[in-house]
Amino acid sequence: MMWLTIFSMAAVVFISRYLLLEPKLPLRLSEKTLTFLSYSAPAVLTAILAPIVFSPEGHLDISIDNSYLICAVVATLLAYFTKNTLLTTVLSIGLFFIIY
Amino acid sequence: MESTTKSSAYLKGMLAVMPLTIAVIPWGVLAGSLALEVGLTALQSQAMSAIIFAGSAQLVALGMIKAGIGIGSILITTLLITSRHLLYAMTMRSQISPMSLKWRLSLGFLLTDELFAIAQQSGSEASSRHKLDPWYALGGGLTFYLGWNLATFLGIVAGQSIDNLEELGLDFAIAATFIALVVPTVKKPSILVCVLVSLVLAVICAVFEIQVGLLIASISGMCAGMAYAKLTNEGEKKAAVLTEHVSEFETQDHSQSHEKEHTKNEEKR
Repeated sequence: MMWLTIFSMAAVVFISRYLLLEPKLPLRLSEKTLTFLSYSAPAVLTAILAPIVFSPEGHLDISIDNSYLICAVVATLLAYFTKNTLLTTVLSIGLFFIIY
Repeated sequence: MESTTKSSAYLKGMLAVMPLTIAVIPWGVLAGSLALEVGLTALQSQAMSAIIFAGSAQLVALGMIKAGIGIGSILITTLLITSRHLLYAMTMRSQISPMSLKWRLSLGFLLTDELFAIAQQSGSEASSRHKLDPWYALGGGLTFYLGWNLATFLGIVAGQSIDNLEELGLDFAIAATFIALVVPTVKKPSILVCVLVSLVLAVICAVFEIQVGLLIASISGMCAGMAYAKLTNEGEKKAAVLTEHVSEFETQDHSQSHEKEHTKNEEKR
């Protein structure tokens, strides 16, 4: 049963990644669609990260005691000012493990 | 000469994805150790990362397996989480679909948030006539795949010796990585609007335990960003670039010329 779960999940994931790369799939992308899609990465990634940061315990937690939030703010500032992915991730994860 | 450009593009991809690969280590460790704890065998735990290769889907599914939830619900949830790849693939369709089947299958399998991010980055650096170098994407994708699987392996090994590994807050690594990916993309006010709408809705949905929160939040964010750009006429220049892109896509039919042309571009750079 576990193997069935693993393989069927793999199929779902692979199809979602491959389907729209298939040239035989009749799909003409309008200029408007492409513009709309250019917002997909920031929107989706934000939707995944926001609950981890703002409600790590399942309820809204905007306080100085929320290490996730503090470190996320630090990461945002680092990313904005340094524009360096490695520095941003390593420093903010390091800080998180110190204060968590 | 040609092989040098290929390997230099491959190397460039490797370097571009390196920071993200390092950042994904805690997350991979979590995926490996949690799988063991949920009751998967070591082989199954590794297979999840090797075959599925989708961090957030794996972690959510493990939580559901632990809670005794059936395969049907697990697959529907997987579909929801992974649906963003449809958006990524659609965005990269004009670049990847003219390539050969071999390239499409490999890059399709390797198409993660991280690969998408570095592919878009390479686009912003290049001119408006940007084409994705398949070797660059392969270098990035494979490096990330190896990193993810090594980290999972580490988690499987460590999970057997350390208790409560999932309470160490390894999930912050996910947040940190995604912050590092999102912040540099916020180059226009409309993207900021998109991010803020998505953020607020995602948190609201999470607090009220709305299952499809991820979809609601991201689609709303995208619509809000687009609407803002339209209201402020922000998108005019961008639209022109994209039109050029589309017409390129329509006239382009085989990967051979595509590859050669790209090689030329690479040399110019």
